[in-house]
Amino acid sequence: MAFTGNFMCTSFKQELLQAKHDFTASTGHTFKLALYTNSASFTAATTDYTATNEVSGTGYSAGGGTLTNVTPTTSGTTAFTDFADLTFSTATITARGALIYNTTTGGGSSTTDTVVVLDFGGDKTSTAGDFTIVFPTADASNAIIRIA
Amino acid sequence: MIPKLQIAEPDGFSVEVHTTQNRGFTPEEIAERCADKIISVSDEAHPAIQAQARAFKGDISRLVAFYLREAIKSDRTTVYNALTDAGHSELAELIRRL
Repeated sequence: MAFTGNFMCTSFKQELLQAKHDFTASTGHTFKLALYTNSASFTAATTDYTATNEVSGTGYSAGGGTLTNVTPTTSGTTAFTDFADLTFSTATITARGALIYNTTTGGGSSTTDTVVVLDFGGDKTSTAGDFTIVFPTADASNAIIRIA
Repeated sequence: MIPKLQIAEPDGFSVEVHTTQNRGFTPEEIAERCADKIISVSDEAHPAIQAQARAFKGDISRLVAFYLREAIKSDRTTVYNALTDAGHSELAELIRRL
């Protein structure tokens, strides 16, 4: 199996309408980003984080890294949110894609509800170096999560 | 007609991954990423505006890189003193000379 592009998980769309995700900076929910090899198999029907085919190596712990939320804002008639870039430091890892999930969905704890699956387009490798995920420009045309 | 609420699928962009081998990012590499976050230049803008924005972006990048280097130097001073206080003067000297 392999990654087949970026997509939002269907369960996330439903949960948005159920007011279960809060992207507010500092006071919002805790979102994490986990890295995966090209053997991972995600579809829009994926609902939870999994450790299967998750990357392993120096500088990376199972479950991935915690993201820093950027409070949602608007531009014109589009609302959007963003995350700060995430770096795994002094890491020796190879990843093909990532999964963003919410660890506090609905204000709960230890949840693993999926948000979005990211496809890096190819294997990315760091060797005793930094592995940084750079999120797109936070605007109405490019932000990672937009509602128009 | 009922308005349509559309959640944008993130398929229209590629999340970028930047990696390094046997080193960390340089201040210039990080500053460029920072400038990308601060300023985006539309391909549809007037060419003169694009040129002006790109020049400004370059200035921002250079300024950020300068202060990143300042922060690194200052942090090394802190680390140097912490190591010296802990009795690791040789290691502290190595850090100071980086």
